[in-house]
Amino acid sequence: MEVRIWKRFLRRLSDLLKGFSNFLIKELKELIRDPKILLGMIIVPLIMFPLLGGIMSFSIQSAQEQAEKASLLVLNNDGGNYSKLFINFLSITLKAKLAVVNATSPEDAVKNGLLEQYNATQFIEIPEGFSENMTKHIEGNLTSIKANVNFYSVFTGGGVFEAIGSSVVDGMVYQFNRMIAPDVTATTKSTIIKGEIKQGVDPAALSNLMISQAIALPITIIILLTYSMQIAATSVAMEKEEKTLETLLTLPMDRFAILMGKLSSSIIVAAVGAITYMVGFNFYMSSLTASIPAGTIDLASLGLVPSLFGYLLLGISLFITLLSALALAVIISAFAEDVRSAQSLVGYIYPLLFVPSFLLMYIDINTLPFALKIALYAIPFTHPILTSKAVTMGDYVTAVGGIIYVTAFTLVILYAASRLFATEKLLTAKLKFRGLRKLGKPQVQELQ
Amino acid sequence: MFVCYAVCLMVVDCMSLAIEAVNVDKVFGSIRALDGLSFRVNAGEIFGLIGPNGAGKTTCLRIISTLILPTSGSVNVFGLDVVQRAAEVRKIITYLPEEAGAYRNLSGWEYLEFMAKFSVKDADKMHRMVEEAARISGLGERLKDRAKAYSKGMKRRLLVARALMAKPKLAILDEPTSGLDVLHSFHVREIIKRYVSEHGVTVLLSSHNMLEVEHLCERVALVNKGKVVAEGKPQELKEKFGSQNLEEVFAKVVGFA
Repeated sequence: MEVRIWKRFLRRLSDLLKGFSNFLIKELKELIRDPKILLGMIIVPLIMFPLLGGIMSFSIQSAQEQAEKASLLVLNNDGGNYSKLFINFLSITLKAKLAVVNATSPEDAVKNGLLEQYNATQFIEIPEGFSENMTKHIEGNLTSIKANVNFYSVFTGGGVFEAIGSSVVDGMVYQFNRMIAPDVTATTKSTIIKGEIKQGVDPAALSNLMISQAIALPITIIILLTYSMQIAATSVAMEKEEKTLETLLTLPMDRFAILMGKLSSSIIVAAVGAITYMVGFNFYMSSLTASIPAGTIDLASLGLVPSLFGYLLLGISLFITLLSALALAVIISAFAEDVRSAQSLVGYIYPLLFVPSFLLMYIDINTLPFALKIALYAIPFTHPILTSKAVTMGDYVTAVGGIIYVTAFTLVILYAASRLFATEKLLTAKLKFRGLRKLGKPQVQELQ
Repeated sequence: MFVCYAVCLMVVDCMSLAIEAVNVDKVFGSIRALDGLSFRVNAGEIFGLIGPNGAGKTTCLRIISTLILPTSGSVNVFGLDVVQRAAEVRKIITYLPEEAGAYRNLSGWEYLEFMAKFSVKDADKMHRMVEEAARISGLGERLKDRAKAYSKGMKRRLLVARALMAKPKLAILDEPTSGLDVLHSFHVREIIKRYVSEHGVTVLLSSHNMLEVEHLCERVALVNKGKVVAEGKPQELKEKFGSQNLEEVFAKVVGFA
């Protein structure tokens, strides 16, 4: 009796497995033979991530090289022996070149362009009375008296590497103190923003604060653009898949109106999405920053919040970039036969979006090698990120230049899209992956 | 006097010609879909293009509908060249593709309204047009449902109603009864006949169902491998080839029987 039950069970199990394996093989064949899925899921990531990694490590290397080339300026306003000792110590331990200028106030150094002259982005001032305080501390045993040095760093608008300079100086001073006496020297840090010295603003803290902004915008752009490109591509491919496109194209309506209708509706949906996303992200950021006791730095009073004009430029830049992305998506989706292939085809644009976004989160574009810089400038999606940094720093020329370039790019793409909509290509265009199929297959046999 | 008469005749002839396709070729890569295809359709008649799958019927209809361009040859619709004056042609035609769909998330009613707004500006006329379409589609209350809930037959009736409601000078219907059951096919054929007789609409349709065409069309062209192999009234063709029906005619023409 039991044997029969077991047999029946095993028979059913083997039937189930047969059905399952047959179905699984069919599924895999269908998925793997779809060249768009193969490319989108396997080949593109295989190329994109090594590429991204390569560019990143190359950029970090070149940024470090640049940092090594830069020199540290020392303003010595103290004539005593201890200041000489301090400078000697710096020159021995510091890898970078050291330039010493006597009897110049930090304000004059900034005003007279000493930083540019010595190719420096940061300097240390040894104020008057440094040696005197050192002497009091060491020889007079007045440990409450400390000898102060002032550290100044130019804020250029972002990047992780801004914080390096100030941490290096911290390390130096710590070592110097270990050599002479505990806690004898203290550092006061200040930041130079847009050519003005902001006393007491720690460049490292400011950088950290700005990094959160430098990350927020590229992420917003990635989400906004990928989302809206998907909408646009889907809406064109949907017309093809649902077989409504042919009817649409025979209606007494200008083809350009169809194109603009597709673009506008995608923009509206994407804008609503972007706004809700921004609101949510803002909550996230504010709850995050509220927990960090960085309240001492007020960005608005430092002039690091874009002006109304700056926000306007940023808005225009974002909008035009969005338009160019949508037009690109519409063109690409015209080559797809259905929604699924349209969405994977749009995926080919993503590397153009991810590379500049991730790169510019960490690196200042000016530290990149020339060829890479040009390549980044050529990608329209780079420009809103650059614009956001530029308007924060009050650099409207860069912002307007970017807008002009992206506008020109968008017009070219829109023209191409409208040409595509005016011809039969919209119905007949297909991306062919001939290489993946056997060539020279015999034609369908005709009835005789 | 004679010249004047001849010119008048030519003008009249031109006016009464709905479609004139002359030596139309269409090449897709290595495939020659149309190979010197020529035929004429008179105004106010139901003309059928018949032939097997892949004969070139749909390609021909797409060229006349201004969707694709002929590789060579010319097509005129009521004297308008479909390549040079495509925008004007689109104002006087409607096209029903073979596998057309309706917008999934619009109701049938909304779909008809959307389409009607291209033909008429006046809101009153538009409403009348949509009501007419609603009546001929026979979908009744179901028009309020979204199109994604429609069966194949319901969708087809909606689309046929859409193609005819504007009373275009030329309605191009690719397999109008495709996928419909006997009753629905009958209903659609009756609508087409009525529109031609009541509103003077010219209909060019394609089908591979030759028996259906025999009952519906005044004249037909048999298409095979991108060419018109015979043209005329069904009755004439049957007599000429000594056949019982158009299917037999076709088989004889292409050398099958």
